[in-house]
Amino acid sequence: MDLFPLFLTIKVSFVATVLTIAVGLTLAWVMAKKDFWGKGLLDVVIMQPLVIPPTVLGYYLLAFFGRSGWLGGVLDSLGIEIVFTWKGAVLAAFISSLPLFVKPARAALEGVGADLENAARLLGKTEWQVIRTITLPLAWRGLLAGAVMAFARATGEFGATLMVAGNIPGVTQTLPIAIYDAVQSGDSNAANLLVLIITLFSFMVLFAAGKISRGRL
Amino acid sequence: MLEISLKKQLEDIEIKIDLRLDEELLVLFGPSGAGKTMALRMISGIVAPDEGRVAAGGEVLFDSAKGVNLPVRKRKVGYLFQDYALFPHMTVEENIAYGIEGAREAAGKKVNELLSLMRLAGLEKRYPHELSGGQKQRTALARTLAAEPRVLLLDEPFSALDYQVREKLRADLINIHRIYPITTVLVTHDLEEAFMLGKKIAVINNGVIEQSGTREDVFYRPGTRNVARFMGVRNIFAGVVSGFEDASVLIDTPDIGVIKAPHPKASSLAIGAEASFCIRPEEILVIRPDRVLGRVQDNILECDITGSIGKGSTHILYLETGHGRTPLKVELPNFVVRKLELAVGRRVKVSLKKENIWVIP
Repeated sequence: MDLFPLFLTIKVSFVATVLTIAVGLTLAWVMAKKDFWGKGLLDVVIMQPLVIPPTVLGYYLLAFFGRSGWLGGVLDSLGIEIVFTWKGAVLAAFISSLPLFVKPARAALEGVGADLENAARLLGKTEWQVIRTITLPLAWRGLLAGAVMAFARATGEFGATLMVAGNIPGVTQTLPIAIYDAVQSGDSNAANLLVLIITLFSFMVLFAAGKISRGRL
Repeated sequence: MLEISLKKQLEDIEIKIDLRLDEELLVLFGPSGAGKTMALRMISGIVAPDEGRVAAGGEVLFDSAKGVNLPVRKRKVGYLFQDYALFPHMTVEENIAYGIEGAREAAGKKVNELLSLMRLAGLEKRYPHELSGGQKQRTALARTLAAEPRVLLLDEPFSALDYQVREKLRADLINIHRIYPITTVLVTHDLEEAFMLGKKIAVINNGVIEQSGTREDVFYRPGTRNVARFMGVRNIFAGVVSGFEDASVLIDTPDIGVIKAPHPKASSLAIGAEASFCIRPEEILVIRPDRVLGRVQDNILECDITGSIGKGSTHILYLETGHGRTPLKVELPNFVVRKLELAVGRRVKVSLKKENIWVIP
């Protein structure tokens, strides 16, 4: 039994989650604390991956990051290839999981009352000190719960990944794609095992996320 | 010293604040929605005013004409939020130490000083959710004082507390202000609190300071009808000047007839001019029926008692003179009401002594 898809999925999800936290935390903070023109539109754009069909999302990513795409051309000249590599799978997982992190993260940051932060400023603290000593310590549960959800979403990403990274066994074949492949080729033993792994993992994640956000973990 | 001159247009009202105060406690008094909290927020820099100037202890914190706008953290303004805004993830000790700069040892000493001054000793390891309302308030005040502010802004510091706790903490505050004589602005809508704490009171209404002065000025010599109303002067009558007598002015009112009032010094009332005057309900004298009116007394009115409301230790009596509809309100201690048998339906004589009447300028 080839366990490559399992290891690839862990690697892809891990890298994608790191990206999601870095980009998502910035977005969530801006959405929670700042008022600016076009905020509503930005919110709609960030949340798109939740509602748009994964194939459509994959198509957009191909259009942007393909060799003839806007960003793809630039990256290509730098020697970076995205499409049909494991990086493509990371990109698809990152974009799909971003809203699942931003939503709870934004709520967690908004939950830290403005006057708590003002109180810290009035006591002489810089913006960075306020974030480090007040905002993050009070919001970390929500942020962690969001990160766990994002990781889980990344492990299950199928449609957009298939479009962007393809189904190359031993190169870009992640767990969900391997399951599809196994079912298509009638290998029900492999399919059952992989399905079991994903199911158990998903259960654990939802339990953990629930416990974290209720403060029991 | 704190000099404030600020303007800000909000959706529903325009805030215009002009105040000057020394190392003293000024009470900013006004009804809800008058702009009290907004004033404090603008002084502290949390909210930016449209234009104006704020200077504290010789340093300019904000000056729209010169483009000065010191960030909140550099203003050294102490701010006590209405809900205290204690950091929930920090202990009492950590909250108080949060704004102290410098060496750990000195900070520890300062925290201990404040803990004992604020009667918080023994609670240093507690978290805010483990404290009573009064303890929370004292922790928040200690945290603010620890940062050595040059100005202290207190936003309704007692509104979230029980009555008994409130009494005690008001006395505490007076004491603390004696120890730390910091220029302080205290916002409240509680009249009793304003009178107890503020040697100086500024009355704000609809975003504008209507009067500011000593508490006696504001309390007994209100500058406008609104100020009189807010200060609990419940007898306000309007009339027309009908004559002069010595240093007095006679005002003919449709509600209680002709009243002799002291002639306001810096005003030039003419016969036929409109004038308003007021008298506090506790300053009206009820004349015992058996009393001989030796010397001529001013403004003796004979009235029917048409209403009586108990207010704890006092009663408010509603008296009608038969002239107009607006009754006189008289506040009397309960024992007086009992002794003189002042019940609804009785007739009484009252005197509005001239020196207790204030003609609103």
